[in-house]
Amino acid sequence: MNGSRSILVSLAALLLSASPALAGVPTVFPAEVPVGHTLEAFRQAVRPGGPGKDGIPSLDRPRFHSADAADAMLDDRDRVVGLYLEGEARAYPQRILVWHEIVNDELRGKPVSITYCPLTGTALGFHRGDSELGVSGRLVNSNLVMYDRATDSKWPQMLGVAIDGPLAGQGLDELRVIWTTWGAWKARHPDTRALSPETGHVRNYRRDPYGSYNPLSGYYLPESSRLFPVMAESRRLPPKATVLGFRTSAGAAAVTTHALRGEAVIDLAVGGTYYSVIHDAVLDTGWVVHNPRRSEIRVEDLQFGPQGVTGGGTEGLAAVNAFEAMWFAWKAFYPDTLLYQGEEQRP
Amino acid sequence: MKLLRTLWESLRHWPLGLGLAGGVALVYGGLFLWLTGDLGGGGGGGLHATFPSWERVWEARGPFHFEPVGLIEAGPLVWTFSPVNTLVAWGLGLLLGTNLVLAWRLRRVSRICGWQASGSTLLSSLPALLAGGACCAPLVLIWLGLPLARALASMTPWLIPLATLLLLASLVYLTMALASSIY
Repeated sequence: MNGSRSILVSLAALLLSASPALAGVPTVFPAEVPVGHTLEAFRQAVRPGGPGKDGIPSLDRPRFHSADAADAMLDDRDRVVGLYLEGEARAYPQRILVWHEIVNDELRGKPVSITYCPLTGTALGFHRGDSELGVSGRLVNSNLVMYDRATDSKWPQMLGVAIDGPLAGQGLDELRVIWTTWGAWKARHPDTRALSPETGHVRNYRRDPYGSYNPLSGYYLPESSRLFPVMAESRRLPPKATVLGFRTSAGAAAVTTHALRGEAVIDLAVGGTYYSVIHDAVLDTGWVVHNPRRSEIRVEDLQFGPQGVTGGGTEGLAAVNAFEAMWFAWKAFYPDTLLYQGEEQRP
Repeated sequence: MKLLRTLWESLRHWPLGLGLAGGVALVYGGLFLWLTGDLGGGGGGGLHATFPSWERVWEARGPFHFEPVGLIEAGPLVWTFSPVNTLVAWGLGLLLGTNLVLAWRLRRVSRICGWQASGSTLLSSLPALLAGGACCAPLVLIWLGLPLARALASMTPWLIPLATLLLLASLVYLTMALASSIY
């Protein structure tokens, strides 16, 4: 009798451990990002985007090929989302992501989701545990609303906090991904691998239904109109001007790419503490560090490697996740955001 | 049945009408597939076809929009081929083409017989044209960047059945009008 019970218990344990639907995504509670509107207001602002749930299919078994093989498909100026984790570099071409929006990947045993929303121009990475993220078919502030396949909670990508479902109010565990060009990513990571167009789905990966980043056209032009309503508006920048944004429990801040390119280091005061945004000229992005004591960042001593920025006074400073976004979307999610447009506007 | 027979009889001995209806179906179907994204640019020249995903033939991507099963490259064009989407596109195109051809025919008959029905025949083809355009309206608006797209996006599931119903209703009306003019 005892023997059969122990077999049953072992079987149940085996089934539970084998079922990804029962394991959730790793979350952060309370969320470490500002939530600019109530969860109820977010829920009210959700709109159907056209395709239904999983109508835009996530890639759940992605394949990768070498940089040389990817060169046959990608121009050096084509956009990619880059990830460097556990000593391994991977590039996810925008022209594939635009058709799938989420790649449920795994790097050296670490399950991650690389997510991209074409309507807000945002790419974010998340740890996903044993679960997967999928495309709900809904939008808020034009931004992709993801769902997790363990609890069906709804997560606006740019917020990274569940607005509906059993995990409402909890935050996702983010990881830094880089919005850059294929040429720049290869220069930083010569041994990178790239997401293969052999995705298991038939799509025209040479065509972007919204426009083009190379050359810039269509929906991605800075002055072009957004399509869906937003929860907060600002005309300080063209709607789709690119900003690098970061948010912490202290608040949210954004710097224009123009300002970032013009200044090697930008120091910002957000919510009573200080942050430094450091321009990475090769990847044309910024690295953000929490710099509460306003330590001097020595530009000439900064070093940029696979893991980001080191040296020059950044030692011991905590990295803060940041990502590029279209201005209208950043302002809609973070209405109290600080906006830095350049040296001449420094208070 | 009588209506179908009338429809067939009015087209059977009219090769020009049949050709026009087929032509409209082809052009409209192609436009539909272009606007829904199945047909697009990016081809590398030459002719090349692969069909790796037949198992996805009934897998829906959205309302009345199905997963492609193959990729056909023809010159500069790339066609992500779904048999179901193609049937929907050309089916609607054929309905639209037949409507337009019948409206034209009715107009000619009424002129020959000296009726005053020409205005109403033109008017009757209007719902057909509107319905035909409705299928792709959200995509056109997205391309044009018009905020109206958001209102239409929520109506997308209804646009294709609505268009089909309007086209069928218009076809019945035109066939009945043609039958009463002949008999």
